[in-house]
Amino acid sequence: MKQPHILLYFISLLVGLSSYSQQKTDTLKKTDSYSIRVGIDISKPITTIFEPDTKGFEIVGDIKFKRNLYVAAEFGFDEKTTQEDYLNFTTKGSYAKIGINYNAYKNWVGMDNEIYVGVRYGFSFFNQTLNNYTPNVTGTFFTPETLAPNSEFKDLTAHWAEFVFGLKVETFKNLYLGASFNVKKIINTKEPENFKNLQIPGFNRVYLNNMGVGFNYTISYLIPIIIKKK
Amino acid sequence: MKKYLIVLAILSLTLINCEKDDICVEATTPNLIVVFKDFENQTDFKELSSLTYWINEKDSIVLNQTIDSIAFPVDLTQNNTQYIFKTSDLKDTLNLVYTRKDIFVSRSCGYKTIFEGLQNTSNSTNWIKDITINNTTIENETAAHITIFH
Repeated sequence: MKQPHILLYFISLLVGLSSYSQQKTDTLKKTDSYSIRVGIDISKPITTIFEPDTKGFEIVGDIKFKRNLYVAAEFGFDEKTTQEDYLNFTTKGSYAKIGINYNAYKNWVGMDNEIYVGVRYGFSFFNQTLNNYTPNVTGTFFTPETLAPNSEFKDLTAHWAEFVFGLKVETFKNLYLGASFNVKKIINTKEPENFKNLQIPGFNRVYLNNMGVGFNYTISYLIPIIIKKK
Repeated sequence: MKKYLIVLAILSLTLINCEKDDICVEATTPNLIVVFKDFENQTDFKELSSLTYWINEKDSIVLNQTIDSIAFPVDLTQNNTQYIFKTSDLKDTLNLVYTRKDIFVSRSCGYKTIFEGLQNTSNSTNWIKDITINNTTIENETAAHITIFH
């Protein structure tokens, strides 16, 4: 039930912002285009096909609301089974990220490429399933048995902050290819009892000090709303 | 240009902060720590000149050295472990009964088993004069769980 709500929230937010930016352009006299760009992360379908333990999908979008400033959002779904030395677990859930990109690249007239830095606030609703584990014991006197509790930890949440660095290139008219790299840190997370959120949808692997990294490869289409010339 | 440098600095700093968690360094399933003390003077350690022991009827283990404390593995697949101690041709039994609990440690270490509600259900007194359980929970190896007076 929560997933459609997140989606609705972001759609309404995006629609609201686009109308806001339209009003603003009427008073400005610059050759800027104000537009919505939507796309998908192309790495997710590829890993879904080639890695049997991973499923995922991500929609990305941004709206230019000021010269060089974009409101950007990503939302998606992840399911991943992780095998560690002494345990095996599955993480499944949806996530959303919203933030701002600043384009630091000076385009020539008529070009619309980006090298940008950005910040995001991300959150995720997910479940963890502990498929099996083997108690860790030093020495070989007693051999531990592998236990398969299949215990599911439901309604877990995580909130995090993210730094993004990336680029977008217009390859065909209004069609953009993008790549970005992000570093993130958990602000708050609801941990399962007697287990830990070692993987979070949208955040990926959680490192020891609650840090994470991620890569995005996107293909997106720009829907122009207003192109104003001097 | 300055802007780039600042961003790059922040990114590299946050990256360096990532800690390695692939190698298990935390303590895992603890052993049972036993100390040997003097029955007459109960605060003093009393060494054993040698010890032969059997755990759960597995092959005997012979220690030909003087010891005043020793760590034994505890069976983490059952709720009891039997220890038979032999010194100077006298045998005594410690029959440990407990409940098990698996505690999450970390990604690389997984789970460890701790043992709770420790009880001794044997009362053989051939060379052992008394057995005291100091701590009914085995969750670490920092202190002795059992004292054997002889």
